[in-house]
Amino acid sequence: MVRNAYTVGQINAYIKNMFTQDYMLSRIYVKGEVSNCKYHTSGHIYFSLKDESGTIACVMFAGQRGGLAFRMSNGQQVVVFGSVNIYERSGTYQLYAREIRLDGEGVLFERFQALKQELEEMGMFSAEYKKPVPRFARRVGVVTAPTGAAVRDIMNIARRRNPYVQLILYPAQVQGEGAKESIVLGIERLACEDIDVMIVGRGGGSIEDLWAFNEEEVARAIFNCPVPVISAVGHETDTTIADFVADLRAPTPSAAAELAVFDYRQTQERCRQYRQRLGSLLEGKVQFTRMRLKGYESKLGFLHPGNKLKENRMRLAELEDRLRGRMKERIRTSRQRLEIYIERINGLSPLKKLNQGYAYVQDESGHALKSIRQAEEGKKICVHVTDGVIYARTEQVKEEHYG
Amino acid sequence: MANQTLEELFEGLETVIGTMEQPEVSLEESFQLYHRGMELLKSCNNRLDKIEKKMLVLDDEGEMHEFEE
Repeated sequence: MVRNAYTVGQINAYIKNMFTQDYMLSRIYVKGEVSNCKYHTSGHIYFSLKDESGTIACVMFAGQRGGLAFRMSNGQQVVVFGSVNIYERSGTYQLYAREIRLDGEGVLFERFQALKQELEEMGMFSAEYKKPVPRFARRVGVVTAPTGAAVRDIMNIARRRNPYVQLILYPAQVQGEGAKESIVLGIERLACEDIDVMIVGRGGGSIEDLWAFNEEEVARAIFNCPVPVISAVGHETDTTIADFVADLRAPTPSAAAELAVFDYRQTQERCRQYRQRLGSLLEGKVQFTRMRLKGYESKLGFLHPGNKLKENRMRLAELEDRLRGRMKERIRTSRQRLEIYIERINGLSPLKKLNQGYAYVQDESGHALKSIRQAEEGKKICVHVTDGVIYARTEQVKEEHYG
Repeated sequence: MANQTLEELFEGLETVIGTMEQPEVSLEESFQLYHRGMELLKSCNNRLDKIEKKMLVLDDEGEMHEFEE
């Protein structure tokens, strides 16, 4: 007999220790179909998970019931999160469940969240890594399925906006087994084809259909792509990891085509406007310069000596006119004064005085007879009246005292 | 100018027009700027490809051929 035999307890404890130390087994997701499901009165739930190959015993203790949000029943496909360990009493291992979810959306969402957080922490979504999408791309790469709405939408929009842009399609498998590899290959292949921008996407579908765009490999391929990538997955409400890591997120494949393909007519119109602006600016400048020239011309003409001469001549004529005017005026006023003098002289004439019965008396020799002392009796005198002379003789001289 | 993108050419045009709009720019400069603007426009025109394209498909052998729906 072998001497060093272990007890059952020792073996079970040893194996339990192995399980406990195993990192993977202590936090594990297991998926399978529910069978033998029993809700115990204690609150614990006992059940098994099975698939084609076999079964595993599971237990969820009453204290963990918070991790189960639905009534579990046989036949359901579930994913159980928990740890695998030994139940020493029976020497069997079982899965100690902490969370149970129905397989499908829930689990995928969890994976989505986990990967999103991981990549975000690595900085793969940060703005500093985003490459600007060129506004005037000439060659546009497209990674999507060769059939379906997405490729048709992209083609139609591109043709409408600008039929002169070259689209290059990598016909990728966008869902199911091998989809992520196909998408990654497409991104890498097209990046070598001298394209300006790349659209990566697909039309709408269930979360499972879109899943390839939540795979880390695809996210990394987009992140590492030297060409700017526009993501275009599903409808507006669908958001995938690819959308976060892409340089630009388009809500739909049609929108991606709008972003990647510039509008030809609009661009031509812009060129036309530039041409017009340039033309009118130059014309304006020429006109302005011409006006300035005209201004200088007239200023210069003004300063011409001929002009000065003409001006002087005019001034001379004017002065002459003034001189003549003054002269005429002077003659007129002189004549007037003369007439006034004549008038006055007339008034002062002695002959006038004779009018009123006075006479002017002279002696023989023509002297004015003013006093009796000049007169002798019998002497001849001349008496001047208005219309002639009376020759007379002095009769008598008698002195009188007047006043 | 030949290897500039349309975007860069448009930026160039904006600068030329902006300068021409300055009132102190001389007539000679204006002519030069106009000339440069016209050259930029010509490059834009050359950049605007006018050959209609069919979508191409890149197959797994790295060959390109026309896409048929």
